[in-house]
Amino acid sequence: MDTNTLTEIAKWLKTTDLAEASYKKDGKGFELRTEEAEVKSNVPSCSLTVVAAPAVGIYHSAAKGKAPSFKEGKAVAADQPMGYVDMAGEKRPVTASAAGTLKIILAEEGRPVEYGQPLFFIEPN
Amino acid sequence: MKPFKKVLIANRGEIALRIIRTLREMGIGSVAVYSEADRSSLHVAEADEAVCIGAAPARESYLSINALISAAKLTGASAVHPGYGFLSENAEFSRAVSDAGITFIGPRPEAIAQLGYKSTARALAMEYKVPIVPGTKGCITKDFAKHAQAIGYPIMVKAAAGGGGKGMRIVRDEKSLEHELNMAQSEAKAAFGDGSVYMEKYVEQPRHVEIQIAADTHGNVVAFPERDCSVQRRHQKLIEESPSPAVTPQLRQKLAAAAMRLVKASGYTGVGTVEFLLDKNGNFYFMEVNTRLQVEHPVTEMVSGADLVREQLIIAQGEKLSLSEDTAEKILCHAIEHRINAEDPDHNFAPNPGTVTALNLPGGPGVRIDSHIYQDYMIPSYYDSLIAKLIVWAPTRAAALARSRRALGELNIGGIKTTAPLHMRILDNAEFASGNIDTGFMERFLGAK
Repeated sequence: MDTNTLTEIAKWLKTTDLAEASYKKDGKGFELRTEEAEVKSNVPSCSLTVVAAPAVGIYHSAAKGKAPSFKEGKAVAADQPMGYVDMAGEKRPVTASAAGTLKIILAEEGRPVEYGQPLFFIEPN
Repeated sequence: MKPFKKVLIANRGEIALRIIRTLREMGIGSVAVYSEADRSSLHVAEADEAVCIGAAPARESYLSINALISAAKLTGASAVHPGYGFLSENAEFSRAVSDAGITFIGPRPEAIAQLGYKSTARALAMEYKVPIVPGTKGCITKDFAKHAQAIGYPIMVKAAAGGGGKGMRIVRDEKSLEHELNMAQSEAKAAFGDGSVYMEKYVEQPRHVEIQIAADTHGNVVAFPERDCSVQRRHQKLIEESPSPAVTPQLRQKLAAAAMRLVKASGYTGVGTVEFLLDKNGNFYFMEVNTRLQVEHPVTEMVSGADLVREQLIIAQGEKLSLSEDTAEKILCHAIEHRINAEDPDHNFAPNPGTVTALNLPGGPGVRIDSHIYQDYMIPSYYDSLIAKLIVWAPTRAAALARSRRALGELNIGGIKTTAPLHMRILDNAEFASGNIDTGFMERFLGAK
């Protein structure tokens, strides 16, 4: 098939509401796709990294007696301690999954969390 | 003791679903726990509540005592049901649950430690005149060759802390002893966290016959008709049936009496199974006690009409058994269970996890399916390969075999390889159909292909 014919077909495709068109006969043919044919994932892309609970238990933002220090908008370093989960006496540390800015705090002091439950969201640098 | 309001099931798969079903019938709330790999598991969907407790590997989730206790506390569960496998026979877990103020649905830690630990159970059997296979008095840590010689080859090296065929090795002569011993110890360490072993005489080609018992905290003990579990491959059961074609009423009475004697002597409470080997001359030898609910419990439920999970809850709530000795020993029918695994029987039973693309389950008279799979379910690769138990019952063994054949013919599981076709071939085998089988049957059957 020559390029002139293909150009004509492509022009025509754009005038229709079709997203893609293909044709084949005796092993010869074409396949054309417009931009709209790109499969759009309905999972929104997210620029934030999650800090998930490393265990099932009660979340604490700091060791007893120490003051918690998380504020949305503050900078966090990679692997910075961000509290711990008390799993039946075993303390599992929560650490920042990336260096960046703390965007969202979901963790609540003294509240139960499941394994994998989002505690914080960080916008990585 | 008050009835439980909420029970946490420290398990997964078909047994978690089984337990949820009885809890629902009893009006008790159910809490499912799951690993990341089991997010879309049916037991999670069916329970009243569900908690994610850890990453996919069992040691980070279903085997994590702290994660399970934590989940129980968070959900306010008043009791924990351990199912089978995992921590069901772990005395440390049983103790940790009680220490947390939660009821463990199973025997007390002391009973698990005494009866569940095979070597100490043997010692108790000897004391209470329950016949045992000659062997070491308890676990041994040295002079292995000397002990083996005293028993007489062939011997069996066995793990004291668990079952399912793990940590077990047959040794036929002294030169293979060291190698087989090392294999058994390391396998036991990996599977149960305890490499302790003991030795006993290897009885050639016995039948595996077991007695289901139930004992409450009021001194009542009942024994159910025996299960014959001789169809095994590498000590993993494939088919179980009740009653055993090899057991006469007189032998049944002796087995039940021996099982009850042992249970009463140990003060064991809960549901459990006393396992015996039956030799070709009708002699029986005590092997071990499984201090938990077993995979094959449905076979006994069909034969007796009992709900064994319900009995476990009743016992744990401090109530009396709902059946008498006479009711428990009644044989209402012949029942057979086929364990269907996601394995390829034509390629050395290689595990075959994957997506179930099609599913048709048999139904009709005398058919029961205990399974957690559903169409489009993705079987995770982290856990054991049991995906369904097909149980049939009928008035006679011949009728039950015909029903098995019919039901297996209806069963269709698409997208993965399963052992269902193997079960069909076993049903067509004359030796199996005759009922004259022993634990060597599967090896002969597979070798003859």
